Amino acid sequence: MDITLIPGYQYMPELVEMMLKIVFIFTMNVGVFAPLLGYVERKQSALMQDRIGANRAAILGFTIFGLWHTMTDAIKLIAKEDFIPEGADKPLHFLAPFVAVVPALIAFAVIPFGGTYYLWGHEAHLIIADLDVGILFIFAVAGIGTYGAVIAAWASNNNWSLLGGVRTAAQMVSYEVAMGLTIVGVLMVYESLKLTEIALIQEDFFMWGIFLQPVGFLLFLACALAENKRVPFDIPEAESELIAGYFTEYSGLKFAMFWMAEFVEIVTISAILTVLFFGAWHIPFVTHDGLLSLLTSVVGADIGNLLLMFIHLAVFWGKVCFLIVFLMLIRWSLPRFRYDQIMKLGWKIILPLALVNILATGVILLVVK
Amino acid sequence: MDIVIPSISFSAIMPELVLLAVGILILLLDVFSEKHSGKLAYIAVGGVATALFFAMTPITDPSTTFAGLYSADRFTQFFKVIFLIGTGLTLLISEKYAKENNINHGEYYSLILFATVGMMFMAGGADLITIFMGVELMSICLYILAGYTRARMASNEASMKYFLLGAFASGFLLYGMGLIYGITGQTKLVKIAGAISANSDNMMVLVIGAGLMIVGFAFKLAAVPFHQWTPDVYQGAPIPVTAFMSSGPKAAALAAILRVLVEAMNFIQVDWIMWVSVLAIMTMTVGNIAALVQSDIKRMLAFSSISHAGYALVGVSAATSDGVSAVMFYMLVYTFMNIAAFGILALVAKANEQNTSIDAFKGLFRTNPVLAAVMTIMLFSLAGIPPMGGFMAKFYIFMSAVNAGHLGLVLVAVINSAIGAYYYIKVIVAIYFQENPEKPEPVKAGPSLVFALLVSVIAVFVLGLMPDCYLTIAGKALLPF
Amino acid sequence: MLNQYLPIIVMIVAAAGTAIGMIVATTLIGPKKSFPDKDEPFECGVSPVHNPKSRFSISFYVIAMLFIIFDIEAVFLFPWAVIFQKLGMFGFIEMLLFIFVLAVGLVYVWRKGALEWE
Repeated sequence: MDITLIPGYQYMPELVEMMLKIVFIFTMNVGVFAPLLGYVERKQSALMQDRIGANRAAILGFTIFGLWHTMTDAIKLIAKEDFIPEGADKPLHFLAPFVAVVPALIAFAVIPFGGTYYLWGHEAHLIIADLDVGILFIFAVAGIGTYGAVIAAWASNNNWSLLGGVRTAAQMVSYEVAMGLTIVGVLMVYESLKLTEIALIQEDFFMWGIFLQPVGFLLFLACALAENKRVPFDIPEAESELIAGYFTEYSGLKFAMFWMAEFVEIVTISAILTVLFFGAWHIPFVTHDGLLSLLTSVVGADIGNLLLMFIHLAVFWGKVCFLIVFLMLIRWSLPRFRYDQIMKLGWKIILPLALVNILATGVILLVVK
Repeated sequence: MDIVIPSISFSAIMPELVLLAVGILILLLDVFSEKHSGKLAYIAVGGVATALFFAMTPITDPSTTFAGLYSADRFTQFFKVIFLIGTGLTLLISEKYAKENNINHGEYYSLILFATVGMMFMAGGADLITIFMGVELMSICLYILAGYTRARMASNEASMKYFLLGAFASGFLLYGMGLIYGITGQTKLVKIAGAISANSDNMMVLVIGAGLMIVGFAFKLAAVPFHQWTPDVYQGAPIPVTAFMSSGPKAAALAAILRVLVEAMNFIQVDWIMWVSVLAIMTMTVGNIAALVQSDIKRMLAFSSISHAGYALVGVSAATSDGVSAVMFYMLVYTFMNIAAFGILALVAKANEQNTSIDAFKGLFRTNPVLAAVMTIMLFSLAGIPPMGGFMAKFYIFMSAVNAGHLGLVLVAVINSAIGAYYYIKVIVAIYFQENPEKPEPVKAGPSLVFALLVSVIAVFVLGLMPDCYLTIAGKALLPF
Repeated sequence: MLNQYLPIIVMIVAAAGTAIGMIVATTLIGPKKSFPDKDEPFECGVSPVHNPKSRFSISFYVIAMLFIIFDIEAVFLFPWAVIFQKLGMFGFIEMLLFIFVLAVGLVYVWRKGALEWE
């Protein structure tokens, strides 16, 4: 049978490419990072606190630095009883983890994790959906995540949950405002909402966001941490006061879904930071074309493109991993803020600073022009 | 892609800008220092005076600005002057009331100023969006103001009712605008008119859209049968706010109705003249008959304001240039006499609105003869007795309707005026011929109230005796017919 | 060229599938042993003494309102920021005024104590 007779066959390469990219991102997020980050967190805290840490699980005496714990954790969570407390709103109790995890998983769709490569006549873009409104999509999707926490809190019929949920909602919306205003400076510099365009401009090392928007970076980092609800902004799930906050009444895989959402968010945040402030997949002082021509002269055009793609993927994910470790470093270094301090930081410090940053950026851009 | 910056004329919206700036200044003064709280009312009045100065600067060539969103013409200017006079008088009668009732906050004055800005955008809007923004800005401020004396249950009730029904009415307005936009593909009034005359399919949808918009505006105008909120809201709201709500927003709603109907809907004139006539008849009749049986002056004035909206609608339904200028003149006179009457009521009712019933006015002639005389003038003017301004205003309205051939409508209006005279005179009888058994102390008016009343009395007489020049100004301000 | 939103739809389906799969798995697998004392909502070991579905502090509502105002400000800033360099001085001053008005709003709520938590 002639393949050209299948309707829409000309889209086949693109469809295959799309499916490959989605599978890749899902594997990275759900398969690699989500379980691994739980382990990294334990191991890193152990290192920082001078403990030995997760090292007991072993198969035939091999502990491989305690990596089996990721597997045992998963098995334990799957085998646990799904507990729903008396008086809980059952449909909502099921809905909440769903609402929490789905936005976290799809936010990555608009983040570019590599450039454009010509492989055997096919043009491959390493981004799942190159939307014109890339950043807005991330904000929109991240905003939905708030509902997950609030619905979970309301459905649980538990005082601690509700307190956690209300705090979560207030904290998330507060920092969403600050985050939105923080990003405006970046948009002014790069003149685009499209993340691929922002990434391409950063091929020049001195155009990296961290140099053009240093204040914006710090503010964005703080907001991102707060949006992620992790120490020092973990008041919504403060263990010592609220048990576990809005997911107190969750167990088994439903509990795991909240954790997964949180870990995937860490990856997403690191990826956004990489794209906006750390030159995305670009290596400092090395241009795409320069490296490509070098590789082409050695191994030919197609293999050269392929190699370049893998180099860029490695660079991108390397940067992401570095940022993840950095975020975890913060998580284990700082004490928890009080609730009033969190709100004060968001509304009275970050928000005015973000406005000042917009004005300063505007003045500088006008003067430079 | 080139970005074309539209022509922007800040001088056209100078009054709005002044009011906004003063409103913001008052808010900041209020939160930053306690010691200015006594002067806030005067700062607001100063802002209104400055805005009035800018609003009176004559416009030589009418034009639209802000990419056709705002029309800077004399129609806008005339209404701006009406709003600013209403706001200024309200602020003046508020000053003492606010201190006595413990509502002397910056927000109170700022909200009044912001509401005025909303009205100005309603009058000046050359685009459905601008008009809607104006309606919302005005309404939201008024919802809050209606509930401003939080300690009184009636005030809370007023705010709640006004908000719920007002939101509902905004919905009608938006549906109407949506339908019209859907049919014509335009939001600019002039272009809507062009689109209608170019293509008259889907007339039914257009008529429904125009009808829904009239419903929305009629709600703000408190025209029967969309007046259900009015008595309770006007009675519950603080008296100066009631005075404000019953003058400025009514004029703004009329301005918006005139602009939309005349500029955009001329093509379906036959339909809307009929609707407005029916509205006018119902509004006058219900307002007057309900006012007859009230023993509470505040509520009586509320119903009287409904009936006055009805008279104004008679002028709208004339749908001629005479009719429009008569409506504008009517609203100018009405603003003076209505706010002055409420101002006296605020004074007589004493702190916390202890007594707003007709009993409070009994024997006022004995205790405060001057005040009694001023109240008499205002009530006569409201009733439409010469030589007060109210008479001339009604006269021109009826004339325009007669000239347009609406004889039946005018007949109903004249009968209503006669009914209306009864309840106004009932108050005058109480003032002069009835004794108050409690023998109250004379009430003392503050300087700002005295000033407001003085201005109103002069204005009512000047407008009544020399209406020609003001009518000419109103005539010159006309929309293109 | 495929519609640029198609991958997003596929992504949503995949994510929803994963989530539903996990929820179904956790309801099917695992023991089901329930008795009244266990079913109580967790309250540090005692029976719940306070119904959670009651009123909570008004401050949270104020924060929600402020969120709407300032988030809309941010939304207005996005398109402006993207074409800022084309708009030049005029656009900058216009937006300065806009930000000023909202900054006054922030100052106002700040001084009024809407951002205080005791």
